[in-house]
Amino acid sequence: MNLFRRNNTLQGRWPTRTGRKSIFIATLIVCALIVFDALSGGSVRSLVRHAGATMWSAGVSVGNSIFGSGLFTTRRALIAENASLSEQIAQFQEQAAAYRVLQAENNTLRDMLNVAEIQRGQNRDAGITAPIISSFRASPYGTFQIGAGTADSVAPGNLVLSAENFVIGRIETADANSSLAREIFAPNISTDAVLHGVGVAVLGQGGGNARTDVPRQTDVSLGDPVVSAPLGSRAIGVVGKVTEDSGDAYKRVQIYLPVNLSVLQFVYVVKK
Amino acid sequence: MSRIFRPTLAIVGTLAAIFAPPWVTILCMGVLAFRYPAWEVLFIGLLTDFLWIPPGLLHPLPIFTIAAFILVWGLEPLRKEFLFS
Repeated sequence: MNLFRRNNTLQGRWPTRTGRKSIFIATLIVCALIVFDALSGGSVRSLVRHAGATMWSAGVSVGNSIFGSGLFTTRRALIAENASLSEQIAQFQEQAAAYRVLQAENNTLRDMLNVAEIQRGQNRDAGITAPIISSFRASPYGTFQIGAGTADSVAPGNLVLSAENFVIGRIETADANSSLAREIFAPNISTDAVLHGVGVAVLGQGGGNARTDVPRQTDVSLGDPVVSAPLGSRAIGVVGKVTEDSGDAYKRVQIYLPVNLSVLQFVYVVKK
Repeated sequence: MSRIFRPTLAIVGTLAAIFAPPWVTILCMGVLAFRYPAWEVLFIGLLTDFLWIPPGLLHPLPIFTIAAFILVWGLEPLRKEFLFS
């Protein structure tokens, strides 16, 4: 039978010599690149990241030009977008007002208690603003790149903050003009935090989400802030969902970062 | 067909490493490796890891490079016999 002949000859079992030879040569090159990168302290990675950031910037520019020209928009889509944006503006105004009220109250209490403002006062002067130069969703390791590096005094361990002072990530490695940061809620990354006075270990799940378990008697409600003392007592997220099983001694708390990472353009980098 | 399909998949996989979620990259790598003895898969995997992996000795594991090796070499004996002719 044809099948017998096909499957039981060397020609039928294995691909052509050329294909295997190409794979073999490619394997050698890849191994050589890995070894060279390790020996040179990550110089190949640095080059690749630089090229990737350049391509990302070019891609974003092209995308903005195409979609900004209105080529793919229809009248109906624009009307819907307009309504949606108006609604968002109203929500933001409300949130901003509430935020200002809370900020004023916070300042008053600080003055009354004479509490030293150790974080915002000192570190804000030492921090810099940096642009995001990569995608947030493309990394399988929960990492992203920012456009500031050792030339701007950025160093591994520095914190990456949002405009509202939420900790987004931590600098892992810094090149001359760019740095690789890792999200606080990167998959399987554990962060010590405090929720309602209870010390918890928050386990990242990626995409700005994390989860933790708190004792059943702890009073946790939606929107409660989660603060991390090792990160300078800054907020790292808010409670998004609480699930409780009657037979369980713990509550499962889902935490999310109240920052839309996909539209984030700039971040603030401070020393820890 | 393969003259268009293979380079297209390789380019899409490379661009996906920069712009798209990781599952798009791994999908392109998988399709390429299933269909062809594609050396490009190794470079796409390495590119993804070089772009995104934080520094550290095997922590986290360079999963895309490892996946590329498995896809390319692991499927080598099976490719012709079981998957596509």
